[in-house]
Amino acid sequence: MYIFVCEDSIDGIFTGIYDAWASRYGHVNIVLTTHTPDNYSLFEEYITVQTDYEKSAKVAHTLQERMGEETYQEICQAALALEADSHRQPIDKAEAIYKTVVLALSLTDAGRVMNYLGEPCVNRTFQLSRSTFNEAHHLLGFLRFQELENGILFAQIHPKNDVLPFLGEHFSDRLPEENFMIYDATRNLAVLHPKGKGFFITDTGELNQEMLQRLSPQELAYRRLWRTFFESIAIESRKNPKLQNQNLPKRFQRDIVEFTELPNN
Amino acid sequence: MNTIQMDMDLFEKLTILSDAAKYDVACTSSGVDRKGNGRGMGNSVAPGVCHTFSADGRCISLLKILFTNECIFNCAYCLNSRDSDVRRASFTPEEICTITLEFYRRNYIEGLFLSSGILGSPNYTMDLIYQTLLKLRTVHHFNGYIHVKAIPGADPALVERTGFLADRMSINLELPTADSLQKLAPCKSRSTILKPMRQIQNRISDNKQELTVYRKAPRFVPAGQSTQMIIGATPENDFQVMSVAEGLYQKFGLKRVFYSAFVNVNGNSMLPALPGGPPLLREHRLYQADWLLRYYHFKVAELLSEDRPDFNIFLDPKCDWALRHLDYFPVEINRATYQTLLRVPGIGYKSAERIVKARRKNSLTFDDLKKIGVVLKRALYFITCSGKMMYRTKLDEDYICKNLMQDKTQIPRDIREGGYQQISFFDKELQTDFQLLT
Repeated sequence: MYIFVCEDSIDGIFTGIYDAWASRYGHVNIVLTTHTPDNYSLFEEYITVQTDYEKSAKVAHTLQERMGEETYQEICQAALALEADSHRQPIDKAEAIYKTVVLALSLTDAGRVMNYLGEPCVNRTFQLSRSTFNEAHHLLGFLRFQELENGILFAQIHPKNDVLPFLGEHFSDRLPEENFMIYDATRNLAVLHPKGKGFFITDTGELNQEMLQRLSPQELAYRRLWRTFFESIAIESRKNPKLQNQNLPKRFQRDIVEFTELPNN
Repeated sequence: MNTIQMDMDLFEKLTILSDAAKYDVACTSSGVDRKGNGRGMGNSVAPGVCHTFSADGRCISLLKILFTNECIFNCAYCLNSRDSDVRRASFTPEEICTITLEFYRRNYIEGLFLSSGILGSPNYTMDLIYQTLLKLRTVHHFNGYIHVKAIPGADPALVERTGFLADRMSINLELPTADSLQKLAPCKSRSTILKPMRQIQNRISDNKQELTVYRKAPRFVPAGQSTQMIIGATPENDFQVMSVAEGLYQKFGLKRVFYSAFVNVNGNSMLPALPGGPPLLREHRLYQADWLLRYYHFKVAELLSEDRPDFNIFLDPKCDWALRHLDYFPVEINRATYQTLLRVPGIGYKSAERIVKARRKNSLTFDDLKKIGVVLKRALYFITCSGKMMYRTKLDEDYICKNLMQDKTQIPRDIREGGYQQISFFDKELQTDFQLLT
């Protein structure tokens, strides 16, 4: 068995697919993984994949051509999903995507590959892709901007999957006239959108917390106004905190203004 | 952005006017896909987006407010009727615009839901709403979702003009029969409600023609219209309610009918007291049946009849139907048509779609079905995979019924645990039901 160890990103996985294909070891003899193994097995050969944007772009191009936009999007969403603990998941994320791609390219209509949910690797890719999509869709609503002193809208999120590309696209279409920033605190990445231009994603490192505390003068007033609305819209005789938490899981609540304490002043 | 006078006034107004609007159920932002136009702000996505969930567990997607709660009508069930003793307030169009825009850019909301009490006359009120939307759309270039109420009895020309600015319009039917309406809402009548509903329907279909001729023609109520009925205030049974809903879907082309469990807000003696709280389980069953009509090709006559006018409290309408039509089962997963699969309890329309696609490659097993998302604990009595059932089960009404009722999700968790009292009314009945079965 040849084990290709690649970086946990779209480009990393796509490069892995490229190298695996080019190696000519045969698909059945190859496993892709994003985990650097803790213990190396004796009879496996480990190959470290160096992420290469040119190779990745070639794979992306082929997949787009052969699968069509919709299925390609699903593959990308799966690649952006959080790779859970490898010991509990039967199929590694990179492996699932790799085998899905192999199956797809063996079909006359590669775009139909996601229909084959009976195949374990397709099923896993489907679950991963759905997980990213669902979380991104939740965050379209659960994300909250706050206006800073300099007029910039700032939002902080703690997503499981890497959803920034979706959020960037949605919010730059929605708020073209705003300078905004969406900060993914689990990955230290951020979407930056300058007014009237396209957005880009960048590595931010640690943010200057002091600057984020300086809110615009109106900000707290609107936050209070929103809380006023939030509290008065609930119907007392239908009160149901369990349903509320079921619909809006606790892990999102810490970044949502109506569920956090207002700063005093 | 605009600065506004943030005095207590606005806080109070928002408290009063959102409190007054909360019994309107519709808070969906769905039905229209619209890209941003590159200026101003706003876009819209077809599935709709929930922004938060209030303490009662309901989705908040839109800023749901009344323009005013001063009302000349005296509907018995309504908190804002002219005889009730509540604090009154009105917004100005500018205030609504500012709140909407500031909330929208902070991503608190997906858009605006604007309703109103009848201030002065229906025409005057409708015009105020129109002016507000006009300002929001043309002065502030707001391109987000707007749901607006058509005021019963307003001039059709005004309703039409407003419709070109809104995404969805709704006129509440309020009560399922004309008799009840006359008793409880003497200022409204069936015709003042149905006339504008018909008008909007016709205008929407004309608009479709216009759009095929000229793609950029202004769009009229692109997300369609909806309505709402109050459940449990009047003696109508489920069969009557569902028949009305079916009629509205078929004859008026409505996108959604909402059901609102009655809450006795002003202790009116004409209305039931409902000591057990609002009839939430009944509301839940009606919504389940509503889904069966819209997504599962069911007809009301299949679910209910004159002799069985109410839904089974213990089983969802689909299980209930399946138990009465056992001759239809078991269904072979690898062969049955999509329409047949839709009728199996535990298989939703999405799972059915996935099954139809997935079985092209190889025949499916129960394990595959589980991965696809089929709820096997409900479905297993009704299906076979390659000719075999999952366990040795009997295709027998009492046997299946007994097993299905042990499934706690039949009465959803949020109602079971949400301090729902009514079930105790039926406890005795439940026991006798179980005795009959065992």
